[in-house]
Formats: sequence, C-alpha cells, structure tokens
Amino acid sequence: MPRTKKINRSRSVLTDPEGAESLDRSCHSKTRDSPRNPKKLQAEPKSKKPRVAVLTAHQHPNRELYFPDPFNNTKKKSRRTHSTSGFTSYNSAIPLVLLQTQQLMASLQEPWLLENGNLKGASKEIRHGRTAHNMSSSSLRKKSDLTLVSKVRCGMLRHLLTNLQEVILGTKLTVLFPAIPLAIAAECYGFGRPWVFGLSLLGLTPLAERVSFLTEQIAYYTGPTVGGLLNATCGNATELIIAIFALWQHKIEVVKYSLLGSILSNLLLVLGTSLFCGGIANLGKEQKYDRRQADVNALLLLLALLCHMLPLLFRISAASVSLTEVPTLQLSRVSSIIMLLAYITYIIFQLVTHRQLFEAQEESEEHGDDLSEETPVIGFWSGIVWLVGMTAVIALLSEFVVGTIEDASESWGLSVSFISIILLPIVGNAAEHAGAVIFAFKNKLDISLGVALGSATQISMFVVPLCVIVAWILGIEMDLNFNLLETGALALSIITTAFTLQDGTSHYLKGLTLLLCYVVIGACFFLSKTPSSHGNAIDLGVKSAAGVIGA
Amino acid sequence: MDHYSSHGDQVSPDLENGDIVNCKVGFNINNNEGCVKGKTPQNLSSSILRKKSDPMLEYSSTVRFQMLWHFLTNLQEVILGTKLAVLFPAIPLAIAADYYKFGRPWIFALSLLGLTPLAERVSFLTEQIAYFTGPTVGGLLNATCGNATEMIIALFALYQNKIHVLKYSLLGSILSNLLLVLGTSLLCGGLANLKREQRYDRKQADVNSLLLLLGLLCHMLPLMFRYATGEGTATASSTLQLSRVSSIVMLIAYVAYIFFQLKTHRQIFDAPEEEDDDEEEKAVIGFWSAFTWLAGMTVIIALLSEYVVGTIEAASDSWGISVSFISIILLPIVGNAAEHAGSIIFAFKNKLDISLGVSLGSASQISMFVIPLCVIVAWTMNIRMDLDFSLLETGSLAFTIIITAFTLQDGTSHYMKGLLLFLCYIVIAACFFVHKIPQSKSNLGRQTIHRAIFSIAALHAGLDPRKECSADQFMFICEAFK
Repeated sequence: MPRTKKINRSRSVLTDPEGAESLDRSCHSKTRDSPRNPKKLQAEPKSKKPRVAVLTAHQHPNRELYFPDPFNNTKKKSRRTHSTSGFTSYNSAIPLVLLQTQQLMASLQEPWLLENGNLKGASKEIRHGRTAHNMSSSSLRKKSDLTLVSKVRCGMLRHLLTNLQEVILGTKLTVLFPAIPLAIAAECYGFGRPWVFGLSLLGLTPLAERVSFLTEQIAYYTGPTVGGLLNATCGNATELIIAIFALWQHKIEVVKYSLLGSILSNLLLVLGTSLFCGGIANLGKEQKYDRRQADVNALLLLLALLCHMLPLLFRISAASVSLTEVPTLQLSRVSSIIMLLAYITYIIFQLVTHRQLFEAQEESEEHGDDLSEETPVIGFWSGIVWLVGMTAVIALLSEFVVGTIEDASESWGLSVSFISIILLPIVGNAAEHAGAVIFAFKNKLDISLGVALGSATQISMFVVPLCVIVAWILGIEMDLNFNLLETGALALSIITTAFTLQDGTSHYLKGLTLLLCYVVIGACFFLSKTPSSHGNAIDLGVKSAAGVIGA
Repeated sequence: MDHYSSHGDQVSPDLENGDIVNCKVGFNINNNEGCVKGKTPQNLSSSILRKKSDPMLEYSSTVRFQMLWHFLTNLQEVILGTKLAVLFPAIPLAIAADYYKFGRPWIFALSLLGLTPLAERVSFLTEQIAYFTGPTVGGLLNATCGNATEMIIALFALYQNKIHVLKYSLLGSILSNLLLVLGTSLLCGGLANLKREQRYDRKQADVNSLLLLLGLLCHMLPLMFRYATGEGTATASSTLQLSRVSSIVMLIAYVAYIFFQLKTHRQIFDAPEEEDDDEEEKAVIGFWSAFTWLAGMTVIIALLSEYVVGTIEAASDSWGISVSFISIILLPIVGNAAEHAGSIIFAFKNKLDISLGVSLGSASQISMFVIPLCVIVAWTMNIRMDLDFSLLETGSLAFTIIITAFTLQDGTSHYMKGLLLFLCYIVIAACFFVHKIPQSKSNLGRQTIHRAIFSIAALHAGLDPRKECSADQFMFICEAFK
C-alpha cells in the first residue's frame, strides 16, 4: 500500500507546488527523525558504500538520489545486491519523482520510508485511477479559452456554455465533429452509402477521444478503484460498440476482423510509430522503459493467442467440419470465460497488488510549464450525461459503419477484410495513436507502451471474449476461430512485439521493423480478396491450407 | 545387508568427521571431501513430502532381534517415509481387483492411485543410492530415474503397441510440468510472497528452454515434412528415418546437458540453500537394501503400468472421457503429484530456483531423454514410431514452450505469471476434453487434414471424394481447384 502512496506523491509534486513543499518538508523531517532507523539515515550521505545513482545527469546535474543499503551491517544475505531499499533526497523533493524505476526497486524492499502519514493528505485527491492508457489522449487536449464565455451574463447559461466548451472544444480533433451531423444528414437524405461510411468513420474519431476524456473526468469523483475499473472497461468503448452492433446484425466476420485489426494496429502500428518517432527524436539519448509491464501484457496476449489458436488447430486437424462444429463452439466459450477471468485478475493486479508497475512515469519538466492542474473540469452528473449522450452517438455512427461497410467495400474496390482489419482500427485508435507518438517524442516510452499494449490486451482479453459471451446470449454461434491467415498474423505480431520489448531499451530500428511488419500484413490483407462467407468463416482456413499444400 | 547407517549411534564412513556436517555451504556438501552428491532440485522437491519416521520400535540390544529390528526399521523408512503412504493400499487393491476380475475402470483408477506414492519412493531410493555412489554416478542415476514412472508406462505402452497412449502421456507430462506445476508454483509463491521480491536465476531456466526448443524442432519437422510432401509410403519412411536421426541427436544433446549440469556448470543448477535449514542429510538405508527396494518398486510400477495401459480404453469408454484427455491430462497429474506438491511448497518458501529446477528439469528430461529413448527402443522392437505428434498436440506443445520461455525471461516472478500459465493449462485441457474425434491408432491424425482438403478439392473438381487416389492425382485436383 505505501507504494501507491509514493507514486501518487509524485503526482502531487506535479500538480500543486504546496504539495511539493510539504513533500520537501516531510522528506527532511524523515531524514532527521525517522522513528525506525534514525542512525542509519543520518549516516547515509557518509555511508560506507552508498550506491549513488546520478539520475539523468544531463537534465538535473545537481540532483542526486542516494540508495544506501540498509543490509550493509546486518548479517542477512546480500546476494540480491541490487535491491536498494532506502532513499533520501538532497536538494529538493523533486528528484524523488525523477526515475521511477529506481524508486520502484527501492520501494519493493522497504516501504517503511513512506509510511509517514503526512504524504497521504497531499496525494489523496490525486488518486483517481488514471492509467497510461488515457494519459495518452490527454496530449491531444488543449486548454479551452474561457474569455468568450465569461462575458455571458446569466450564470446558468454560462455554466452550460463552459461545460459545452470543455467537452466539445477540449480536443484538437474537434475539427472532425462536423462529420457527425453530416453523416446523419447523409443517411437521412439517402446519399451514397460509401459517403455515410466515410463520414461516420471520421465522426467516430473525436468521439473515441472524448469518451476517454469523460471517463477520466468521472474517475476524479469515484476514486481510484472505480475509476480504474471504468477506464479498463470503457477504454475501448468505440471498438466494443462497433463489435456489438456488428454482432447484432449477424456480421460475425466484421466483429472478428475489426477486433483482430485493432489488436494488430495497437501492437504494430501504434507501437511501431511510437518507437520509431521516439527513436528518431531521441537519437542521442537512451530510451528506457520498464519491461515488467510489457511482460505482463505480452503474457496475456499469448494466452489470448492460445485461445484463438486451439480452435483453429482443432478445426484443421479434425476429419470433417461438421464433426468439430459443436466442440469448437464449446471450447471457444470455455476459453472466453477463462479469458475474462484472466482479465479480471489482470485488473486486480494492475489496480491493487502491483500498481507500481503500471503507473505512468511522470517526470518533472525542466521548464515547469506543463504543471497543469489536475482537477475535474466538469461535474460528475454532467460527465455521466455527456457519456451517455456520446455513447448514443457512437452507437448511431457504429450502426452506420457496420451497415454500410459492404457497400463501401464494393464501391471502393477494397475487400471487407482490409477495411475491417486496417481502416477501421486506424480510425478508432487515432486519438491513442497520436498520444502514444507524442509521449514517445518526449522519451516517455512507458506511457506509449502502456497505451499500445494496454489497449491490445484489453481488446483481446476483454472485448473479444465479451463478444463471444454476448453472442452466446443472443444465440449466435460465434467462436474464437479466426482463420489461418489472421491467426498467423496475430501470432507473429504478438511474438514480434514480445521479442522487441525483451530488453528495457529501444531504438528506432525496432519501431521501424514493427511498422514494416504492419505494412506487410496490411498489404497481405489488401491483396486477399477472397470472397468471404458469413458466419464463422471456416472454409477460408481449409482453403488456404489446401492452397499451401497444393502449391 | 548393509545397515550401518540405520543406527543412530553409528555414522557412515564418509560422515566420520563430524565437524564437516556442520559446514552448511550447500545442502549437498556433507562429507569430508566436500564432494557433492549429485542431488538436483528435482528430487529435493519430493523430499518435502517426507516425514521423519518415529522410532516406534524400542532399541533392542539383544543380537537375536537385531536382524528383525534392522528389517523393520528399513521397512518403516521406505514404506512410511512419505506422506503419500496412505495411497499404498491402492496397490494390493489394484492387484486384487485385477485378480478377481473387477470392473476395468476400477483397476485403472486404483493403479493410478498406487503409482503416485511409488513415483515419490523411487526418487527417494535413487537419492539414497546416490549417497553411496558418489556425485557423478548419483547425478546420472537421478537424471535417468527421475521420471522412471513415466518411462515405464511409456515402455509398456510401446510394448502393447499403443503408440498414441505413449505419445499422449509423454506430451501430457511435458505440458503438465511446464504449465501446471510451474503455474501453480508461481501462483502460490506469488500470493504467499506478495510483498516480497521473487527472484530466481534465469540462466538455468534458459538452458532448459533451449533444450525444450530443440525438442520442439524435432517434433515439428516430421509434422511439417508430412504436410509439405503429402501422404504416402515414401513420406512415412522418410519421416521415420528423420525421427530416428532426430532422436539420436536429442539423446546426444541430453548427454551433453547432463555433462553441463553435473560437471562444467554445476553452480548454475545448485539450488541455493538457506542457512537455517540445518537438517542432517545422510543415508537412512543401506546401499544394497536400497538397490533391492528399487528393483522391487520398479517391478510393482511395471505391474501397475501394465494395468494402466491395458485398461485405459475401457476406462475411457466407461467414463465417457476421451483417451487423449486421460493420457494427456489425468496420467501426468497423477505421475507428477509428488513433484508438484514439493514444487509448490518450495515456491511458498520463496525458493523459486528449486521449483523451477523441478518443473523445467523434469520437462526437459522427458522431452530430451524419455521420448527419444522410446523411439530408439521402438526401433529395436521394429515398431514404427516417429516423432510426429499430430497438429493439435504439437501446436499446444510449441505454444507451451514459448510461453514458458517468455515467462521466465526476466529473473522475477509474480502471481500473474503463475495464473496465466495455469489458465493456459486449463484452456489446453478443455481443448483435449472436447476433442472426442476418433483417432487412428498409431501415428495419429495423420490423414485428417488431407482428407478434409481432399474432400473439398475433389468436390470442387467434380470427383467423388470417397474414392482413393494417389498423391499425383491429389496434386492434380488441387491444381485444378486453384
């Protein structure tokens, strides 16, 4: 528990200077009169062999963290020599937040330093369960200028307008909002259906970002756990709604393709561009991240891969299709339940027991100019109302998108699989994508990774099994058997990503390779214009296997 | 009979310098030469299931009862030395059930139960013998007999020409070691040590992962070979040749691994020992006594294995569970029960190195030693056994090895890793549970995909799919289909 306190304290430093002051004081007081181990702490700077970690010396030449080893004098085994346990700050409190990884290593062993309660108060209102996932889109937000609104006389009206401005104009993607009424108008006046499709897609882009914004706003009021849950659930609300509408219209193929595409796009495109841009922008600097977070996500993705792979192998190795229909379905449903179970545990792991792995790393900026106040800009009920409204609009647009996808495919000469796997996710993930790239530019790879991997994990471990369960309830026979080509692409993406993130560093070539993988997969689906059958498109797998063997 | 070590007042010759016993540098250094005993984590794990047997017999100084006393002590050490001793009555029951012609499922279940304590006892006896033979022979013995139960079951299945049972049970043993044993160990260890850091030495895990990957390659190539060249007798014979060559290569790799483990890089595999763990480690029974017991136990294991292999189909029919599920999931759970429990207990104590050594060591032993040995034995018996497990099984194996290797990449652990491995096992188990397709007896699943593809292709080409046709015709049909 103290770990989370510490991490959240880092936020308090960012948000209000008073918090930093109190932190500063608390640190000094701790150094002076810690009840537990005063002698050691006082002797710290002159300790026999204090491991001095000079952190980001090019940025903060005068700030150092000291990591004395309290086991120095004890008889305990010092085999794990890297476990540093206590720390104190020299000049100011701000270095405490500099390198979270070292901090984490420290806090894993000895959390006692953080138990002094005076840090609690400063950090309480900050704990709103904000994960890296929605940190990303915040980079797209701009401070709305309230000067215009403040001239309005009536207080009620002014509130309403402020609210409206915060919600509608709070993002740079707001220029795409006009696409929403246009799409509705196009539908009403019977325009060409490809137009409806295109406009709906454009309209979904800002909505996806706004839903994540609203979720975050609500999280300010509900506290960290509920907020984290909300984020975990609504993070990919757009994808979920599109998938459920496609399910409703019995377009299982579109469901599978769009979800698969979303995973691929997150893993290869978003991550690839982030690493590439980050690598180019920080060519001289070292680009580090915490690989433990990436590991957990990679393992979850591998479990998901297993759940997709087994029905496929099952189907391929079986004697006839009719014999395996029922077992495959049963297997898919059991696997879905297990995946949801794993996802729930992952949420607990992320929000409760191992919170420190997932906290987005927030460095104190040198210029100090983006110490933006983290306070809710709209009220709770207003947030709820907006969220419901936005969800309704998303549902409407999703219905348009799903209903017109075949027409668009025919009119544009692109296959449905290409549109669902490549185009839909690019649009749906645009906000996150931009955010991840921006954070990578700032050499905050932890956040970029959190966005890309977190989103992919969420879709594969939550949205996909949820769709199977919903289909079960609706009496639709949806299984987890994507086809051979799709499952192969998924397997390759997951394994490549996991390999890429094995060491805790990055360079632009890694990003470029991931990006090129995405291009190759995109080209593959662009060229595969196999007429796909409805339902669980099983024949495709067998046919492509036949093609392989025939060749 | 050599009973000097069963006396409390006598010490075995290599323990004579008592001060060496107190020197607890490592758990396996306990004689005056600092000579290591060849004790690997694998049989350290089952030692946790052992209990100190109470000296329930009064010491009798009369010479007349000396013999009897020795005998009873010996019996007590061997039979009652484990907590699994409660399962021993299953052995006579199984034999009785077979003798009095009980239902065959009963024989199967009782034999399975009876095998559980025997597996643990064999590892105990091997360890006892290792005290007398010195480190190298002992290490070799451990490496060979560590999975004696699995090996005996496999050989009996081979003898009865049930190659699918053999393949399934060995595959299941690897899966169970990698996912179930390791998963529950990491899960329990992670939950028990939530606030502590759980570290292990990843070098040992890496070596095992590499061996498993080599094993995977040897299983994958025959499969792909078959898929690439199509069906036919020529393919079958080349697959067989490839399998035999691969098996020899795997055995060479295993010998090198033993050498690596026992000689050159011993320090990687030595489990670290805590200082407070100062149990006296000495042999409790004599060499020849242990040897006799080992031979006897092996005979009983062979008997029970024969029952198990002979009644597996009957049990499958009677319980409505497929043979593949019984062989892949149930058999290994029973066979690994002792190691499993030990591994979890060590994980609870945050000694992940031992847990990893148990599960990974056992998996690589089966994959690199037992399986190729079976192929070689089948070769000498003129049975055509190849390394081609079918698609679903090889896919599961590949996935298992890859996810385990990924899990153990960084040297730390938490409960999420264990849970995910465990869930993977459940998904695979569910897959084999619903997998009730009748398999061909040997070299299973060989023709399935070809049959399916051929039916489709032939239907498209306007031919009768039920008619047999040669590979050339098949290619022609495929071309026409394209």
